[in-house]
Amino acid sequence: MRHILRLSILLIGLFASSASFSADTLPPVNTADDLGPQVDQPIEFPHNRHAKDMGINCMYCHTYARRAPVAGIPPLQKCMGCHNGIESVKDKPRIKELFKHWEEKKPIAWKKVHDLPDYVRFNHERHVKRFIVQQDKPVQEVCGYCHGDVKEGTVARRQKPLSMGWCVSCHEKAHPTDKTAQATAQGPNDCWQCHK
Amino acid sequence: MSVSNLLANWSQFRQAHPTEGDFHKEYKWAMAIDLDACTGCNACSVACYAENNIPVVGKDRYARGHAMHWMRVERYWDEDNRDMPDQGAQFLPMMCQQCEAAPCETVCPAGATNHTPDGLNSQIYNRCVGSRYCSANCPFKVRYFNWWDFPKEENVFADPLPLQLNPDVTVRTKGVMEKCTFCVQRLTVAKHNARNEGRLVQEGEVQTACQQSCPTNAISFGNMVDPESRVGKQWKAQQVDLAADKQVKDAGDESHEVGEHHSGTQLRGYRIFEELRAYPSVMYLERVRESAV
Ligand code: SF4
Ligand code: SF4
Repeated sequence: MRHILRLSILLIGLFASSASFSADTLPPVNTADDLGPQVDQPIEFPHNRHAKDMGINCMYCHTYARRAPVAGIPPLQKCMGCHNGIESVKDKPRIKELFKHWEEKKPIAWKKVHDLPDYVRFNHERHVKRFIVQQDKPVQEVCGYCHGDVKEGTVARRQKPLSMGWCVSCHEKAHPTDKTAQATAQGPNDCWQCHK
Repeated sequence: MSVSNLLANWSQFRQAHPTEGDFHKEYKWAMAIDLDACTGCNACSVACYAENNIPVVGKDRYARGHAMHWMRVERYWDEDNRDMPDQGAQFLPMMCQQCEAAPCETVCPAGATNHTPDGLNSQIYNRCVGSRYCSANCPFKVRYFNWWDFPKEENVFADPLPLQLNPDVTVRTKGVMEKCTFCVQRLTVAKHNARNEGRLVQEGEVQTACQQSCPTNAISFGNMVDPESRVGKQWKAQQVDLAADKQVKDAGDESHEVGEHHSGTQLRGYRIFEELRAYPSVMYLERVRESAV
């Protein structure tokens, strides 16, 4: 009898705690541009002009995404490569600021927006290879899985939770491994894939 | 986590056997250490410190049992009742044996230590609550508890040392258990590269830090599933079976004195505490010496 009593108390506790746990940790379904904190950049960078109006490929500037774990922030030289030749906007305040940095040989101190904790290992290259190269999906869509609709914003702002549960929610699904969608595979789910 | 989620796989919690399903399909990382070649130089230990951002605790804390060396070289004097044997000491490098049925995993209250499909014993530092049950249950005593908030309170990585910290490895803080990982950061990189090229990691492509720095090549490491791997060949040559708690080659060996070389066979391979059924992934090769005169 005592055993049953003890067990039921344990179970009630378990249910109560797991119920309250689930209420706390339901991933937010909201994908609007209001999740991450506003990060003030030294120069306000209009992602909408570059990614939407000009239709520039994300990986033109974030060039390491396809060949390294980190996507990288473009060097000033990358900006100048185009802006040296674009006369029409040379007297705009932001571009003037850009040229000032260039002439003073001072890099722009961009701030990190998507900053994962130290114990997380994330590899851009693998995700780019999986979705853009193998499945032939549009670049902006694939980058948008994690970075949201960047082409609608100015400076990038974190739009997705980037929490462990959120990452796992994708890794649990079976994604097609190629364009013809014959075979599917899940993302790896053992702890050491993403933790270090 | 909903209640149904919690209960759905309850019956499977820690029940799956490591050799079932996806386990060891592509990789099974294993090691072989030749004690005949080991000179006790400690290069492996130093390399491990550098590779894995391990702080040096110093003499006082060491004496208090706060040591944190993931790789230690154990020293044994030859017996025969002599203080300084002519034959010198025997050395045995000891680190996490990456047990297939790891006793440390079953007792972790937080599930911070797990088995990976590659046959590794993982340790997730930010999940660890510091109960130290795993350390109590590890027969090899190779788990080290971080008693000090090194990077914050004490400047063990004083300038310019942070510049040599390995960015692929977390700098652990106070209150977590840490241990050898078979240099999982190197394995991950090798696996990523291989997958990008649509193949498996090949023999010789990845080394552990201790293996890389060993001047006598005593340590070999690799993928046992790969028939080309040196480590797999060594295990086979020594007739050591990963899934056995008593090796067939040792049957009928009871007549031998303890410490006597297996005279019938010329096989030197053994695993430590095999009979405890932890199924370690590290094979040692016995040291062979003429007995002292
Ligand atoms: S050697 Fe110890 S820490 Fe390593 S897997 Fe075995 S029981 Fe766990
Ligand atoms: S495999 Fe890596 S972590 Fe393990 S003892 Fe060797 S160097 Fe250290």
